[in-house]
Amino acid sequence: MAEAFKKLPEKLQLATSAHVKYIQSLDTRKDEYDYWLTEHLRLNGLYWGLTALHLLGHPDALPRAETIDFVLSCQHENGGFGAAPGHDAHMLSTVSAVQILATIDAFDDLEKRGRGKAQVGKYIANLQNRQTGTFAGDEWGEEDTRFLYGAFNALSLLGLLYLVDVDKAVDHIVACANFDGGYGVSPGAESHAGQIFTCVAALTIAGRRGLVDADRLGRWLSERQIAGGGLNGRPEKKEDVCYSWWVLSSLEMIGKTHWIDRDQLIGFILRCQDTERGGISDRPGDMVDVWHTLFGITGLSLLEYPGLQPVDEVYCMPKSTIERVLGR
Amino acid sequence: MADQGGSQHGIARTSRARTDEQRTLDLERIQKYHLLEEEIRSHVSQHNYTPHVFQLTSKLLKLNPEYYTIWNVRRRLLIYGLFSKPSAGSLPSTASPTSSPTATTTTSSAACSSSLSTATPPAPGPQTAGRSGTTADDNNNTEETHGAAEEGNQQNDLNIIKTELGFTIPLLLESPKCYWIWSYRLWILQQAIDRLPVLVARRIWEEELGLASKMLTKDRRNFHAWGYRRHVVEQLESSQLGGKSMAESEFEYTTRMISQDLSNFSAWHSRSKLIPRLLDERKADDAAREMLLNEEFGLICRAINVGPEDQSLWYYHRSLMLNLVGFVGHPTITPAFSRDDRVTYVVREIEGIKELLEDYDDVKLIYEALIDYTLYLCQLLGRQPDVTEKQAMTEWLAMLKKLDPMRNGRWNDLERDCGLLNGGRRPKVVSIDVGQGQGQGE
Ligand SMILES: [Zn+2]
Repeated sequence: MAEAFKKLPEKLQLATSAHVKYIQSLDTRKDEYDYWLTEHLRLNGLYWGLTALHLLGHPDALPRAETIDFVLSCQHENGGFGAAPGHDAHMLSTVSAVQILATIDAFDDLEKRGRGKAQVGKYIANLQNRQTGTFAGDEWGEEDTRFLYGAFNALSLLGLLYLVDVDKAVDHIVACANFDGGYGVSPGAESHAGQIFTCVAALTIAGRRGLVDADRLGRWLSERQIAGGGLNGRPEKKEDVCYSWWVLSSLEMIGKTHWIDRDQLIGFILRCQDTERGGISDRPGDMVDVWHTLFGITGLSLLEYPGLQPVDEVYCMPKSTIERVLGR
Repeated sequence: MADQGGSQHGIARTSRARTDEQRTLDLERIQKYHLLEEEIRSHVSQHNYTPHVFQLTSKLLKLNPEYYTIWNVRRRLLIYGLFSKPSAGSLPSTASPTSSPTATTTTSSAACSSSLSTATPPAPGPQTAGRSGTTADDNNNTEETHGAAEEGNQQNDLNIIKTELGFTIPLLLESPKCYWIWSYRLWILQQAIDRLPVLVARRIWEEELGLASKMLTKDRRNFHAWGYRRHVVEQLESSQLGGKSMAESEFEYTTRMISQDLSNFSAWHSRSKLIPRLLDERKADDAAREMLLNEEFGLICRAINVGPEDQSLWYYHRSLMLNLVGFVGHPTITPAFSRDDRVTYVVREIEGIKELLEDYDDVKLIYEALIDYTLYLCQLLGRQPDVTEKQAMTEWLAMLKKLDPMRNGRWNDLERDCGLLNGGRRPKVVSIDVGQGQGQGE
């Protein structure tokens, strides 16, 4: 395969150093209005950027000590993390915080200088509705399978999955299954690639992947690849780089990655790069952002693009991190 | 994690370079934004739950509707400041099991010290905000004044709820995918259930169904809008709004949506979920059930005849076929069908689809359906494909490989699993059992 890549025209190579510089530059844009308008995503953004850098083989491109300080500065007394200091605690930023600390091996700092793992676990576990098994994002919001997945992801990294009712949560996921093998956002909702990822990954963490109808789901997922090589999220929709992650990781979990055309997908992702200024966009020629940059790179990593570190298809983190944390 | 906004979708790439003038302008906007943010923070830290602070949050949210913490501040301003306090023995408001997930109510913000959610303050004194300035006098305890006060409370709360629903509309028009606006709107709607008389609350939710329909007129496949509609309908059907099943009217709604646009998978999907419920509610007998199945097959086959390249249509067709071969754990349309009935239907569909090939011999979805349904037939009959079937499947697979080389990995697996390779293994047909997804372990 490596031979084939050498033959790609130069602009279709992965622009690693441009991407590293782009991610490093993200926190230097404090004189841009948009930087402040997106503060509610700061911790998530840090997770997206950091993970991309690790997969690109530049784990030290962001300063470790400052990263830990910032993450801990977002924590509340109740254990949850907000998106930035002064922002309310939320499941999504809490999961990002746990993922960041796991990736840079900083759970000790959480224990010594933060509120500790147990308190984080308690915050997340309290967001479970014990009657239905589902999770809310915070004390106000709706329940959604992406919060369920987030909870399973973070709790299992912390070794605290026993704090929640796993069986009830699994029952809820099963109720979200559709005849096409996919999963919707709630029982009765149509299948959607993002929800499929969260449901299949949550079942995998729970050790219940056997509940997935792999043949039927694999078919639905493989139909997401359309002319041009990109993947869409639902029938008759446009392709988008972030689905390289939702669709591909799900295919990987059920052992069907070979059901799509990998070379064409690699070509599509590479065409979405800004090779000069770094970063990857949703479609060729669009504005880049760190979200699509991460999911372009994780997609390439799952497709075994040369030079990238392997990504874990369940946690969306470096495989080496998952092996270290879970002792695999 | 899943998309929470903030990511760029469909915005053309441009140079980030700014002129000095643009940069100065940006810095001015940033300064204004920070001043506003600071002002709100300082008020909140002093527990100033007043209409003035409320106006400040409106201003900030118009600049940045993604700022979830400010939406939370707004909720707290309403709960601890502007909404009426339910008098003892009146509405069960927050105790209602639907007002928030039971477990999550315990994660109150009380423990947060470093943020805007700073410890929930004791409710400030008499509430005057948004009302005519009178409050129920605690000493004045007679039934009459009590009732009048309650009416006043409900009027106050109704006004707030209506204003809040109005406030989010322009924001939703500008950022229709912003999760936080939707989440806040749903919270406000829940307040209507918790704080208002059933009939008043019901009217508000009925108007909301109108909004959901309007959104779907603008974008027929909007995933969020369909989900939102489902949620609104569920509430309208619930006993807390004095509702009853809306399966019939929702079914008609999908018919209307489909007649406008056959390629609307969301509408087909919704239909597939409604039909079993509809039949149960109609107390349909076996003949009525079969009639509906025939109608659905007729509808979808006419659509496929016009647009056989459309995946949405085939997904619905397959869902009907699965009704025949059994999809364990899910409601079916015709539970009383005998095996012979099922076989007859499957054979009829296979023959109909073969006829499609006369006009469309280059549409891969047709070949895929033929292979699928042939396997369904074998499964129903409890046997392996015979020689003729194997030969047909081999030809169809060859067409699939030719027409859809992107998925050759899948076609190769299918070829192997069906025992179509020379000297192939025993076919895997039986394991294509449609109920396997419900099994345990792997
Ligand atoms: Zn995207």
